[in-house]
Amino acid sequence: MSILSRKSQQVLADPLVANNPIAVQILGICSALAVTVKMQTSIVMALSVIFVLTLSNTIISLLRKWIPGRVRIIVQLTVIASLVIIADQILRAYLYDISKQLSVFVGLIITNCILMGRAEAFAMQNPPGQSFLDGLGNGLGYGLILVTVSVFRELLGSGTLMGFHIIPQSMYAAGYENIGLLVLSPGAFIILGLIIWVQRSITKTEEA
Amino acid sequence: MLEHYLSLAVKSIFIQNILLAYFLGMCSFLAISKKVETSVGLGIAVTFVLTITAPVNWFLYHFFLEKGALAWAGLPEVDLSYLEYIVFIATIAAMVQLVEMILDRFAPALYQALGIFLPLIAVNCAILGGSLFLVERNYTLGESTVFGFGAGAGWFLAIASMAAIRHKLRYSDVPPGLRGLGITMLLTGLLSMAFMAFSGIDL
Amino acid sequence: MRSNAYTLTFTSAVTIVLGLLVSLAATSLKDRQALNEEIDMKRNILRSLHIPEDHSRKMSEQEILDAFDQMITEVHINREGEEDPNGDLILYEKKSGDRIEGYAFPISGKGLWSTIYGYMALEPDGKTVKGITFYKHGETPGLGGEIEKDWFTSNFIGKQIVDAEGHLTSIQVIKGKVDPNRKEAIHQVDGISGATMTGKGVTAFLARDLETYNPFFENIRKGMHP
Repeated sequence: MSILSRKSQQVLADPLVANNPIAVQILGICSALAVTVKMQTSIVMALSVIFVLTLSNTIISLLRKWIPGRVRIIVQLTVIASLVIIADQILRAYLYDISKQLSVFVGLIITNCILMGRAEAFAMQNPPGQSFLDGLGNGLGYGLILVTVSVFRELLGSGTLMGFHIIPQSMYAAGYENIGLLVLSPGAFIILGLIIWVQRSITKTEEA
Repeated sequence: MLEHYLSLAVKSIFIQNILLAYFLGMCSFLAISKKVETSVGLGIAVTFVLTITAPVNWFLYHFFLEKGALAWAGLPEVDLSYLEYIVFIATIAAMVQLVEMILDRFAPALYQALGIFLPLIAVNCAILGGSLFLVERNYTLGESTVFGFGAGAGWFLAIASMAAIRHKLRYSDVPPGLRGLGITMLLTGLLSMAFMAFSGIDL
Repeated sequence: MRSNAYTLTFTSAVTIVLGLLVSLAATSLKDRQALNEEIDMKRNILRSLHIPEDHSRKMSEQEILDAFDQMITEVHINREGEEDPNGDLILYEKKSGDRIEGYAFPISGKGLWSTIYGYMALEPDGKTVKGITFYKHGETPGLGGEIEKDWFTSNFIGKQIVDAEGHLTSIQVIKGKVDPNRKEAIHQVDGISGATMTGKGVTAFLARDLETYNPFFENIRKGMHP
């Protein structure tokens, strides 16, 4: 990893576990959970967020010296919203089925607090290269949680992963049943709560 | 007709609560639900803004953005629906500003109470989500207004009950890693399960 | 604090640049998106008519377009059930040679939340359900969203839309499981647990749409092909 300087490595790796945007910074839970019923949709959602987040961080960082303070929120929102529209258009053109399932939740990336949060907290103060890495790192950290939640929900809730049957038919014959609750919304909250518990116990993060 | 609106309101408040079933507005929900008073304040502000933005965005979508919507201006071929997101978020930001100014001018007491929450609302997913849902579900103007109000009221109900639960929780012994966010998520899960009991209601 | 003129120039510049980018993306991808919608529509019409026979097989885009061109004829009919180029109802006929193998027509209506869109197909006898698909809806995943799943749609296959006396009797989505011993069973399908309202919606719009298309199928049942 000698391509990246120590600082850059840290910027990239930090948000993956130690400073995970969802589990530690409490950002971006809004639009995330609804798409975690299936692994496929959450991977596409995660990729869209990574796309928008890296680009918005880079663009805002490039513009940071010229953005007038009074209108900075509106400018950030415009940049983010435009990128989300582009992402949505691409999904509709090349991944039609998935974009139909994601429906309004692609649009809701705009109000995903990660984007505004990283723009304000990082991109406005740091050069484009680092902001790009920060966006990538936070996007990956976000995606990591999203995909983990979806693995549990899809495997235990529907017995499949990526749409393929994983739990063998013989298990069902022996009386095994899918946990229907996990497909419904309470399942998402509970799984995420448990993941946060495990994650915080490992990193010893504590909240007052 | 009244019955139809009533049923839509009950659906959006209880059966498919925008927070507990669609996970919208989680950020402010998690951050603010520590205190009952502030939760109630934010809840009222969200309901207020949602009730206003839903019909306004309905109007913009049907008269400017939708395919063929510009027929009145002699441009029946134009389809601007791809601008939906940016127009909606701009409307929401503008409406929040407007509400802030009107309150400041005519109801200073209410402004004092809600003031600090209003800027937070512009980036609350529940508000944008409400507008996007009304397009996806083909609501009429009346339905949109009722849905906007219902979604807001549902959000208010969720955050107020969560704040009350968290108030009680102060005296419980929660394992260290679960404190704060973890336990709140688990509780939200239970609350969401409780709300699912409403799904049997037949209207 | 920078001047107002600067703020205005800056925001206008950002808006123009981003506006151009967004419009460029939207316009250049438009054809591709329209094609997707067309394919999705055709895929669902074909599915309701059992093409391909094996539902789990996914047809490629080209296969769908070819199969549709070869087997499906689009006809317009009017409210009296006659073929009429100016009629406002659309019907898709599946033909193999000159022989008609099924009719599909669009169905849509309100579920719990959203407008549900789909296609229903009838056998050439005009009274037996050949298949049904639902392809666009905003129902809750895991509850009302189950309507698009095979386990739900396959229950419709073989159900009757007319009773013993020949009167139109639409298919009902009931609450719970269908009791096969009752005589209404041939008009009923199993409901989705937790999604009673979606089922009610489906029942209601099926009844309405079947009523609309009934004059045409009435003629077929009487043995006079229009």
